Order: sequence, then C-alpha cells, then structure tokens
Amino acid sequence: MPRSVASIPWKELLFFIAVLVTLGWVVALASGSLGYNWQWYRVPSFLFTVDDGRILPGPLVDGLIFTLQISTVSFVAAFVLGALTTAVTMSDSFVGRILSRGYLEAIRNTPLLVQIYLIYFVIGPFIGLGRFESAVLSLALFEGAYLSEIFRAGLLSIHRGQREAAHSLGLSRFDTYRFVLVPQAVRRILPPLTGETISLIKNSSLVSLVSLADLSMNARILASDTFLTFEVWFTTAGLYLLMTVPLSLAVYTLEKRFKVLS
Amino acid sequence: MNAPVTDILRIQGISKTFPGEIHAVKEFSAGIQKGQVVVIMGPSGSGKSTVLRCLNGLETPDTGTIVVDGVPLDGQKKNRLWIRTEVGMVFQSFNLFPHLSVLDNLNLAQRRVRHASLSRATDNSLKLLAQVGIQEKAPFFPAQLSGGQQQRVAIARALALNPKVLLFDEPTSALDPEMIGEVLDVMKDLARSGMTMVVVTHEMGFAREVADWVVFMDQGRVIESGTPDEIFDRPQEERTQRFLSQIIWKNPRSST
Repeated sequence: MPRSVASIPWKELLFFIAVLVTLGWVVALASGSLGYNWQWYRVPSFLFTVDDGRILPGPLVDGLIFTLQISTVSFVAAFVLGALTTAVTMSDSFVGRILSRGYLEAIRNTPLLVQIYLIYFVIGPFIGLGRFESAVLSLALFEGAYLSEIFRAGLLSIHRGQREAAHSLGLSRFDTYRFVLVPQAVRRILPPLTGETISLIKNSSLVSLVSLADLSMNARILASDTFLTFEVWFTTAGLYLLMTVPLSLAVYTLEKRFKVLS
Repeated sequence: MNAPVTDILRIQGISKTFPGEIHAVKEFSAGIQKGQVVVIMGPSGSGKSTVLRCLNGLETPDTGTIVVDGVPLDGQKKNRLWIRTEVGMVFQSFNLFPHLSVLDNLNLAQRRVRHASLSRATDNSLKLLAQVGIQEKAPFFPAQLSGGQQQRVAIARALALNPKVLLFDEPTSALDPEMIGEVLDVMKDLARSGMTMVVVTHEMGFAREVADWVVFMDQGRVIESGTPDEIFDRPQEERTQRFLSQIIWKNPRSST
C-alpha cells in the first residue's frame, strides 16, 4: 500500500532515533571508561575472507550456516513430534494421553541444558546417535513439547459449535480436523508458533555445549582468540537478528493471508 | 388403514443427566411420523435442547432408545454415522464455517460424506440456496451476511445431505427481531414440503401454523403434549398456562 509523506509517523521515528542514540551513547561511555580499543575493521574477516580471488566464509558465517541447518532440521522434527503429540493427547486413548502428558511434563519441567547432556552422554551412545543427531533430538523433543501445547490450545480455542456442526453433517473425525478445525486454528497459532520458532533458533546455541560449531560456539572461540569481545558479540547478536527478524516479517505476511473474518 | 404407519423417529424413555447441571431429561418418549412437524417448548433448562441433541448423537442418553427409520442409535459406529448424516441440525448460533464461502459450507459434506463431484455438489448447493432465497450470496463468507441470511445458509447446509429428519435448536433466538420472519418463512416452506422436523422454539405463531404436535417440557419432563390448538387454547396443566402467559406477555407478536 503506498504511503503518503503525511502518514509517516514522524514522532515515532524521532523517538526511535533518540532511543538508538541514547543506547549508543551508553555503550560509548561504558567502553570509554574501560579504555576499550574498538577494532571494527577486523570484523569483516570474521565474516568472509578472500583467498586467491575466492570468497570463503569466516568463522561467524560458518557458525551461522550451521545454526540455520540444525534449527531447520530440529524445527521440522519438532513440528511432526508436536503434531503427533497433540493428536495423541486429544485422542480417546487413555494410555496415549498418559504417555503424552508424561512426555510434556518431563520436558517442560527440566532444563534444556540437562536434556542435551542426558541425550548426548546417556541416550545417544545407547541407541547409536552421533553428536549432530543427539543435538537435533534434544531440540526436537524440547520444542515439540511446547509446539504440541500451542497446537492443542489453538484447536481448543475453536468454538464448540464448529465441531458440533461438523458432527451433524456426518463428517468423519479426520475430515473435521482437516477441513474445519485446523484451517481455523492455523491463524490463531501463527503468533505463538513464530515465538517458539525464534526460541528454537536461540536455544540452538546450547548445542555448543556438546562441541557443535554453531554461531555462538564460533563466536566464543573468536572472542577468546582475538580479545575483541564487544565487536564479536555485537556482530553475533546482529547475525541472530538477521535470522529471526525476517522470520517474524514472513509470518506477519502469512497471518494476513490466513485471516478469517468473524 | 392398510399400510402400517411406521415412525421415522422413535424415542423411548430417554433420560440424561449432567452432573451438577440443569438441562436434564427424564423419561422422554415420542414417535414421529414422516412429514410431521413437532415443536418442543419449555422454559430454559427444561431439557428440550438436550432431547434434540440426543436425537443426532451429540449427546448420548443414559438410558432409553432412539431409532431413526429403523436404525437404532446404539454403540455401533456404522449406525451412529448413518444417523448423523440422515438427521440434520440447525443451531441457535448458526455455526457456519467462517473460513469457507457460503458455497463451500454447503459443498463440504456433500463432497466428503456423499462423495459427490464438485459440479454435482455445486449444482445442488445453488439449488438449495435459491430455495432459501439467497443464491446470490454463494461466493460470500458467513461474516459478510446478516444473521437471518446466515441462518438460512445453515438451513440450506443441513439440507445439502438430503436428510430424513431436520432438528432446529432455537433457530431464531439469536436473531434480531426483524430477521426472524425470513427464517421462519423458510422453515414453514420446508414443513409444507413434507420435511420431518423437530423444532425447539418459542415462536407460537410458527407452531400454530405448521406444527402437527406440540410438546411442553419443564424440568426434564413432558408436562403435556397435543395439537397446537389443544396446547395453546386449552392447556390443561397449570405449569403450561403460566409459561404461555409469560411468553405472550413478553412477546406479543408470537401469539398471532
């Protein structure tokens, strides 16, 4: 939609700039009192290096790519696991409900850190999982539990009358979910789903604990090698934002597409 | 009388209680013949909606039997599925699918339950929408329609499976007064076309005009039942008289 100059929220924009300037000033003040010697010129080589006319990814971009990989694989696995858990939780099977309930409570009430160690050191070797697979399993189990609760809440939020209308039209249980409940729930779960996906990307930094070279692991190594603590961690934070902000924007577009009049 | 008269809907002694709630039903029985229109009246909490919800399996009665066109509504999955496709329901709050167009609301069950082709389902849907007088609304979404139009779509949707019996659960209670007439007109047309209907409503005008039988319920029990003239003009029970005088006092239009 085209915007006229008049519709630009100047006040908001000025406020935003003022906040940025203040933050910058605080950082400058802090580093000044520390006598910090900024060396931003060294940062580009952490991102990319040029060798023999070819562009090679630096340690931070390497880490970024790995973080994207493990987050994507884990998200797909978590999504499937979450959907299955929701299906079992909402089924008529008593045993199924107890199992899924137990899974949810176990995962949600213990730290992810402990789960990653347990799976990597105990369960992984037992069932022959490698480092990467163990990490994916940990993240998928963890996020799957949260996703399943989001799915369930979304489905339960659909008015009872929708289910009753589907029932009285003779629709099967599967068709009721497929054509009536899920399409309406999708719109409602998109915002919390986005939040969980962003959490997953951020939580993936914990896999560095089992020596996987993700973005935060590479940043830590780089920071201790070069002593450029501020530059490295600011850049790293920026790279995480580079992954999460476009995701938020993409979902915002999706939300508008799935909008249901009511 | 040569051909034996068989009830299309036979209800025998159904009871249903909900822990800690009203809406209970105690020993409700009725036999309804093909083409009959039965109106159930009663104060809120009298169990009239619960009776209706038992008839298509939305609730399972604690005791008693329900037989639709010879098929018992029992534990058998096949029978239950058959009954919920053959017994349609129109709800107080319409319950249209808000994410589907009017046409798709009507098409969905035809496609998925009757396995009709898209063109056949669409033809049938448009015909039904014409019957309820809103064919031009087919591509619209429910939220773009008035309450009366939504309820007419809901009636057309319930008709889409060509059911043997249609249940109406207070179909005009959620409507603005000026829209009640258009919905009642559609229901009267249906009644005259020979549809078997069980209607929970307080619309006495509708009951007088098309009901074959009126049942008055209170606190889960049938207080009395009879033809509209018997119930409205010569109610025997004090409870019925009191209720009728209340709804006439509150809503003079319905007495006409």
